[in-house]
Amino acid sequence: MTAVNVSGLVKRYKKIEAVRGVTFSVTEGEIFALVGPNGVGKSTILKMLATILVPTAGSAEVFGLDTVADAAKVREIISYLPEEAGAYKNLTGHEYLDFMASVFLRDGEKAAAAVRYGAELCGLKDRLKDKIQTYSKGMTRKLLLSRAVMIKPRLAILDEPTSGMDIINGYEIRRTIKQLAAQGMTFIISSHNMLEIEFLSDRIGMINRGELLACDTPAALKERFATGNLEEVFVKLAESGA
Amino acid sequence: MKIFFILFRKEVKELVTKQLVISIAAMLFIFQVIGKFTGEQSKASAARKSAVVVMDLDRSPLSGMVIAGLEKTGYKVTLAADGNAEEALFSPQYADESLFVTLPAGMQKALDCGKKPELGFFAKFKKTISGMGASMSAPRTGKIISRVNEELSDYAIKKKSPSADPAFLKEPITAVEYVAVGGAVAQVPVSQVLLFAQSQTYFFPIAVFFIVVLSAQMVMMAVASEKENKTLETLLSSPIDRRLLVVSKLSASAFIAAVLSGAYMLGMRSFMSGITGAAGSQTAVSARSAFEKLGLLITPQGYLLIGLSVLFCILCALSMAFILGVLAEDVKSIQGMITPLMMMLMLSYLLPMFIDLDLAPTGLKFLLYAIPFTHAFIAPQTVMSGNTAQVLWGIIYQAWVFALFVSIAGRLFSGEALLTLKLRFGRKKNVL
Repeated sequence: MTAVNVSGLVKRYKKIEAVRGVTFSVTEGEIFALVGPNGVGKSTILKMLATILVPTAGSAEVFGLDTVADAAKVREIISYLPEEAGAYKNLTGHEYLDFMASVFLRDGEKAAAAVRYGAELCGLKDRLKDKIQTYSKGMTRKLLLSRAVMIKPRLAILDEPTSGMDIINGYEIRRTIKQLAAQGMTFIISSHNMLEIEFLSDRIGMINRGELLACDTPAALKERFATGNLEEVFVKLAESGA
Repeated sequence: MKIFFILFRKEVKELVTKQLVISIAAMLFIFQVIGKFTGEQSKASAARKSAVVVMDLDRSPLSGMVIAGLEKTGYKVTLAADGNAEEALFSPQYADESLFVTLPAGMQKALDCGKKPELGFFAKFKKTISGMGASMSAPRTGKIISRVNEELSDYAIKKKSPSADPAFLKEPITAVEYVAVGGAVAQVPVSQVLLFAQSQTYFFPIAVFFIVVLSAQMVMMAVASEKENKTLETLLSSPIDRRLLVVSKLSASAFIAAVLSGAYMLGMRSFMSGITGAAGSQTAVSARSAFEKLGLLITPQGYLLIGLSVLFCILCALSMAFILGVLAEDVKSIQGMITPLMMMLMLSYLLPMFIDLDLAPTGLKFLLYAIPFTHAFIAPQTVMSGNTAQVLWGIIYQAWVFALFVSIAGRLFSGEALLTLKLRFGRKKNVL
């Protein structure tokens, strides 16, 4: 089943065109990655999919629901983790998970189950009783990622999920994403870390200056450009303007 | 409704920080301490006003009468040794004294000849001319001059006409003061009415001013920090009705601001009671029937109207601050962003204290009434003057302004302007 269908997506801010006619689709249970340097429009595409920005032209659908016309329904089935997001510093980790579960899930039992799952996923154990302001950047990011997936959304939109994390924490998060995708959760992630993307994603969309340059599996892209790593693929694509 | 309380609780938890609690406790403590010390100094000052050092260089029956008269009216008189005034002023013997009078040699003779003797009245300050003691010295000097004049004029009258009653000659009328307010007239001294009106309205504008500033800052901080931390993006992508996000933030800020202003009022009351004691309320009790007749006592309905006016004043400020918070680039820029709100508040708070709005030029009157906060600041006086219709119209206007700004805030929250529009000192810019 098609989880996400993006067609001719454009986002313009006055004179700046941040996204220029991007088209791609993602199937259910797939991990799809948008890659490219900072400031090329990856986050803008994710925000449009998360219904918090409105496209200037084109359309985006999530499980057949339009992100503008059916925004409220889309919000029921997605979860979005912004890049470098923070949390409410005066709440404890547990209070934060509890609050977010109540916000995303109306059913009290489902919310309680989500909090238990989130607490287990983040692995913060007793530190969940402490205020978030005492957490390290890595701990906060793990808490936020657990928040994003604990409600078991049909589509998880993660903007730079491992940014600012050390090797071990980053590895744990990538493993969790893989496990959840294997259970049927769909992921759209963005990153400028090519190694991470190669390990994590089923397919990749390479973006530069708001345009989608190529979209395929990591192996296919490497084969097409006769190179051993994705960074070289990107450089060649950017140079050719393909 | 349940989700509203969940959001409300989260907002309250985020707003009530350790720093906030400490600063409020410190404020209460400082008010208490200042009130106590100022009160003590005020009492010491009051006790000191009855002490006077008299240099009697005349040593006549009249100077004896003046000294006796001063003692009879509550002055503690210390007689200085012979010499000049400057010696007594700076003598270590009178180091703690601050009021000196010289009765010159030949005082009685001069009066007997119908000439004005020259008496010296000295107010002494230690080093700095500040504090309660210093501020009391002018009325204290004026009072003793009147007292001495009384004694000397009594003597002069008796001298010219031994059978005359000096008290009658100096004050041949019985003054009965009346005050008219609106359509009512009552027999009561004007000074008492003014004192009562001030005691009723003294705390009110200060408390309203503080509650509005505090709540506005809080709501701006709440919105700007959510933007800065990107927690707002998470909430905006959730299934929650965005209007509920607006309402929960406004409610939590108003709730905490009300608690804080209550604490502020307590502190201010203890501060003022330290200074003034219960003089104002005693005055009110003694002339209560006159105030009632004049319609100056605020009825429960009057208090309800004032309460409503204050409530809508706070709501207007919150809705405006909410929009400013949405437009703020980050938490740091809040200080600059609150300026337009502060300017409106200062105008509506200070100007009605110094000008009569009824007599103000039309343009100024229009400007002040256009600011929704003015209606709350002047509500007690307006209710006391019996003009409840004006208060009602003010409330209707405030409600309209509130609805307008909430609808703008709601629109901002339901669109993407919340994330893309940033305002810095009047400059708009779009960001990616």
